[in-house]
Amino acid sequence: MISLSDIPTKSGFPLTPAMCVFLVAVASAPFWLEAVGLYSYLGIEVAIWILYAMGFNLLFGYAGLHSFGHGAYIGIGAYAFGLFQQNVAVSLWGGLLAAILAATLAGALVATFVAHRRGIYFALMTIAFGQVFWFCAIKLRWLTGGEDGLLGIPRPDMVLGPLRVSLQDNFSLYWFAAGVLGLAVLGMSRLVNAPFGRVLQAIRQNEMRARFAGYDVWRMKWLVFTLSAAIAGLAGGIFAMAQESAYPDIMSLHQSGTIVMMVLVGGGLVSFWGPVLGVLIYFVARDVIGGVTETWLLWFGLMFVVMVMLRPEGAAGLAHVIRSRLARPKAAAPAERSA
Amino acid sequence: MPLFEARNIQKRFGSRVVLENVSLAVEEGSVHGIMGPNGAGKTTCFHVLTGHHAPDGGTISFDGKDITGLKPHRIARLGISRSFQIMNLFDDTVAVENVILALPEFRVRALNLSRRVFEDRQLIDAALEVLAQVDLADHAWEKASALSYGQRRALEIAVALAARPRIVFLDEPTSGLGAEATRGLASLVKRLRQRYTIVMIEHDMRFLFALADRISVIHWGQVIAESTPDALMANKWVARSALGELA
Amino acid sequence: MYDLIPHIVNGLTLGLLFALIALGFTLIVGVMEVINLAHGAFFALGAYFAVAVIGGSWFSGTEFGAWWLGLPLATRYVVALIFGPICAAIAGMVLELCLRPTYGKAPLYGLLLTFGAALVIEELIRVFWGTGEQSLTIPQTINGAFLLGGLIFSKYKFFAAAFAVLAIFLVWLLLERTPYGAIIKAGSHDSEMVRALGYDLSKLRLAVFAFGACLAGLAGITMAPIWGLRPHIGIDVVIPAFLIIVIGGVGSFWGAVAAAMLVGLSVGISGAYAPAWAMLSMYILLILVVGVRARGLLGRKSALEN
Repeated sequence: MISLSDIPTKSGFPLTPAMCVFLVAVASAPFWLEAVGLYSYLGIEVAIWILYAMGFNLLFGYAGLHSFGHGAYIGIGAYAFGLFQQNVAVSLWGGLLAAILAATLAGALVATFVAHRRGIYFALMTIAFGQVFWFCAIKLRWLTGGEDGLLGIPRPDMVLGPLRVSLQDNFSLYWFAAGVLGLAVLGMSRLVNAPFGRVLQAIRQNEMRARFAGYDVWRMKWLVFTLSAAIAGLAGGIFAMAQESAYPDIMSLHQSGTIVMMVLVGGGLVSFWGPVLGVLIYFVARDVIGGVTETWLLWFGLMFVVMVMLRPEGAAGLAHVIRSRLARPKAAAPAERSA
Repeated sequence: MPLFEARNIQKRFGSRVVLENVSLAVEEGSVHGIMGPNGAGKTTCFHVLTGHHAPDGGTISFDGKDITGLKPHRIARLGISRSFQIMNLFDDTVAVENVILALPEFRVRALNLSRRVFEDRQLIDAALEVLAQVDLADHAWEKASALSYGQRRALEIAVALAARPRIVFLDEPTSGLGAEATRGLASLVKRLRQRYTIVMIEHDMRFLFALADRISVIHWGQVIAESTPDALMANKWVARSALGELA
Repeated sequence: MYDLIPHIVNGLTLGLLFALIALGFTLIVGVMEVINLAHGAFFALGAYFAVAVIGGSWFSGTEFGAWWLGLPLATRYVVALIFGPICAAIAGMVLELCLRPTYGKAPLYGLLLTFGAALVIEELIRVFWGTGEQSLTIPQTINGAFLLGGLIFSKYKFFAAAFAVLAIFLVWLLLERTPYGAIIKAGSHDSEMVRALGYDLSKLRLAVFAFGACLAGLAGITMAPIWGLRPHIGIDVVIPAFLIIVIGGVGSFWGAVAAAMLVGLSVGISGAYAPAWAMLSMYILLILVVGVRARGLLGRKSALEN
């Protein structure tokens, strides 16, 4: 069976085959999205959710901390971006910085309360905090605009030194989101096999042993929670630009559950790329099955239930099984015993 | 002055007194055995000494420093390391990473976000060296969960040694091992005692009596006898209360 | 102080109703160590089936339908009160069968599976009953309001509270005074013991799930006239239920009842001062209680902590 903590075969080079496929797909998406009957806005949405899901999986899959209230941080990021544009200055970098900062602060605060918990109690506490943030987003009308949210959030131009690029159309916003995503994924692929990532995984595997090996488990959990919230905040900032608004629904328990479902369906518990697959499956289900029937969520939910029952390793686990089945006939020689 | 000393340790869980009064002094370079019947409080005693539980009374000192009530990771960083009776390994990963994670030079880099662990030849070599001490070098790249029972026991000890401790606590290292493996372990402990101070809980009397310099017998949460193996053998009362249980 | 009385009464009735919702939940958590996020879905199912029975919409136009609608509302209501929970119980048994592959794995999988099931049931409700608000009609005798000490109280709320007290009492009786209760409690401590005593553990689990879902359905029928009925009521309801369980202590009967009253009171009283924020008080209560004492008010150690 595969696991997240398998030793990378070619640890050095960041451009593994999977990474190349991913980067090529991200870079070429605008050229084929419409050809296969989809639309360019979908690309932005998928990029944002992949960013969010991969950051979430640092916490959920790698550290084994099962947060069910993560929607709060993408929401806080979106609100912070919007409020910055409306009250401080129309600025892309400023807005994104505000988004990351706000989500980081909220994450750090919550992490202080939950980092000494494990298992279901951790999940319960994160739900409770998630609900508190969601509730505040609805009730603090003067700040957040209540149920309707913040409307008319601008898409500021990207200023890079002398360069000034408008992100008004979906095409250019996609390039921006894809660029951020690409960098973040490269960073994360590095992180999970760096000491920090490996210690997180050690804590998932055996918290007590990690403690007796001299690790300050509380601090590591606190850090990964905060980091994951920060990435969600960044995703939220871009989301606010994409939607040109920020609203409380994204912070609801439903949405927090959806990200868990995505990560799980894709196989985030066993593979770095699980969240990517999961997000793709979710959006394909939404747009393809959703085009056929109104009740696509029913089918997605059923698929999820069946998957938890039979294949909790998700799509990535399934792909691994298929690959090893296909590989076996070729390995006629008994010497073939790969790890 | 003893390297490690516990004085009048008490531990209660609710109304149940598990350790009533345990005192223990371990000299540097010695092997100190702890024995006693099941349920006598031996493992709880280890948990208290290594910081998993805070004691309700008494003091613990290491190298002249008071460590009573310190968190486990603080105690571990001082050079106190332990193995577990019920195996506690990082099961999703290979033997060599189990060891790497416990190396002090790796631990100080725990916050590093970009260094590639599995390209660091120095780390891997250091880990392989520890694995060689317990004869696991040939299985370094196998998953911990795929190792045999005896190999897992050995890895458990390797992880404890990897921290380059000054004192190692071994909780029933022979538990579940066959005669052959037990002999192997005995020769390992003989080799280890030249480099480390060792405290071990052990049920196997022949094993313990052959290796230990001093033995404390714990019963009903108290140390009922503390002496050299030879002197203990002569003590009929101890023989009945502790050894008799194993017949 | 006098002004607060209606809010306190309100809080107490709310607390009793919360307790009713939480009971089935705590039973399932206690015996199976499964956090059943579909509990709210059973609540909704019970209520929706009751609406269907009372409204007779499934056989409208048929002769039986005409005869059925000719019966007095009270009769139909009582039939619904029996039929709804049975349907919820059947759904509960189906879910228990689905859960079997997850036993012995991390509690996360049970949580995930029931979350998926809640989603599926919610969507099914949308398919069969539509997305709009439904209402559950109640007999005239328990409808309306009455005056007491110059204050107006809703008759139905009192009926519902009394009903909740009765249900709590019956569950307590079942758990404490019958051999079944002894087995259920043994199961929550030690499944080996249940086996050793010669009981079939899988049947016990099926029965406990059915019973828990049945209680949820009953709570749904009781609450629907107060809260209204929407497809997503399941999620709205499961959150307070599980907050209560966590505050009270997982698997503890009196812990759940006490926590429910506490939550009801805090929502009721904070509603007097800041109605918009009333529901927030229960989350804050949770964070306060669990921040101090992870196991909740009366909880004991549980495998769920790992």
